[in-house]
Amino acid sequence: MQRTSTRGLFPPMERSAFREGVRVMAPMGLPVAVWGLVTGAVMVNAGLSVPIALQMSVMMYAGSAQLATLPLLVAGAPLPVVWATSLVVNLRFVIFAAASRRAFVHLPWQQRLIAGYLNGDLGFALFTQRFRNATEHGNPEQWGYFFGMNTFNWAAWQVSSIVGILLGNIVPEEWGLGLASYLALLAVLIPMVRGMPAVAGTVVAAVVSVAAHDLPLRSGLLVAVAAGVTVAMATEKWRHRVQAVAA
Amino acid sequence: MSQSWPYYVIGIVGLTVTVFATRSSFFMLPARYQLPPWLESLMRYAPACALVAVIAPGILVPGGHVDVGWGNHQLVAAVASAAVFVRWRNMLATITVGLLVFTALRLWA
Repeated sequence: MQRTSTRGLFPPMERSAFREGVRVMAPMGLPVAVWGLVTGAVMVNAGLSVPIALQMSVMMYAGSAQLATLPLLVAGAPLPVVWATSLVVNLRFVIFAAASRRAFVHLPWQQRLIAGYLNGDLGFALFTQRFRNATEHGNPEQWGYFFGMNTFNWAAWQVSSIVGILLGNIVPEEWGLGLASYLALLAVLIPMVRGMPAVAGTVVAAVVSVAAHDLPLRSGLLVAVAAGVTVAMATEKWRHRVQAVAA
Repeated sequence: MSQSWPYYVIGIVGLTVTVFATRSSFFMLPARYQLPPWLESLMRYAPACALVAVIAPGILVPGGHVDVGWGNHQLVAAVASAAVFVRWRNMLATITVGLLVFTALRLWA
């Protein structure tokens, strides 16, 4: 593990590894661009002005959190509820950060902050896969690969989002772009629902969220999450116990 | 726009803080801090629950009333869409099929 210069926003990178990262991410460019385009268009179609939608896209760089909080923002929900919703949707990234930190913990703080910010769903999965047998954690090869993938992904996302934001007002409302945002979220959700605890938790969260849809302050969502997580964790515990008895 | 601009600007700044707080979380903490297993399970299940809690009312409560029948075009479109995603894992096809089904139902059903 090496200590590096405390200046600069990026750690030293191997050029060939950076290019490899870009090459690996390139085939994902199209799906990422579709997702960005839809997110951009939906934000404007739902009623955000172009400058606000641009601010949201450029600053957040988090498609699922953007789409999840959009209906709350447009309805004028209390900001703490909006923030809590985004926090919950983003909790999966805490697991990603904990799992991939070894390659980054020795970098200066501003480089870690940026690396974390860029560590989205796709990049995390590909990085973990590529270096799962590595004995050394944190070198210019790994950093090059990481930033090659993730800067490409960032650029593809931002460009397509901006195009979507500019086109959003042209799309007539009857086309159902609001529905498109739920369909895009569905594609994020489905791979997450693996195993009995996750299935039980999401079913409960779905039922509670519908039952609680008109709770004041748009708090139904957080109530549903609390119920879903409780059931998922209880199911997990129960399954461990059953397995322990069987063994 | 339905809300005032400071509401959106402050809201989005706060949302950006939540992104950094989660994505960069363990990158910023000293190595001695580990994720306890119970917290990891909580964090594994919470995002899926949150997404479903956004999607389910969005699709099942059109216009403020719960509608879980075949007359709910959004629901039919979402089921078709989910089937396409499970089969092909393709985001573009998933959204396209869903919107086509929705539009077909809107025009002809």
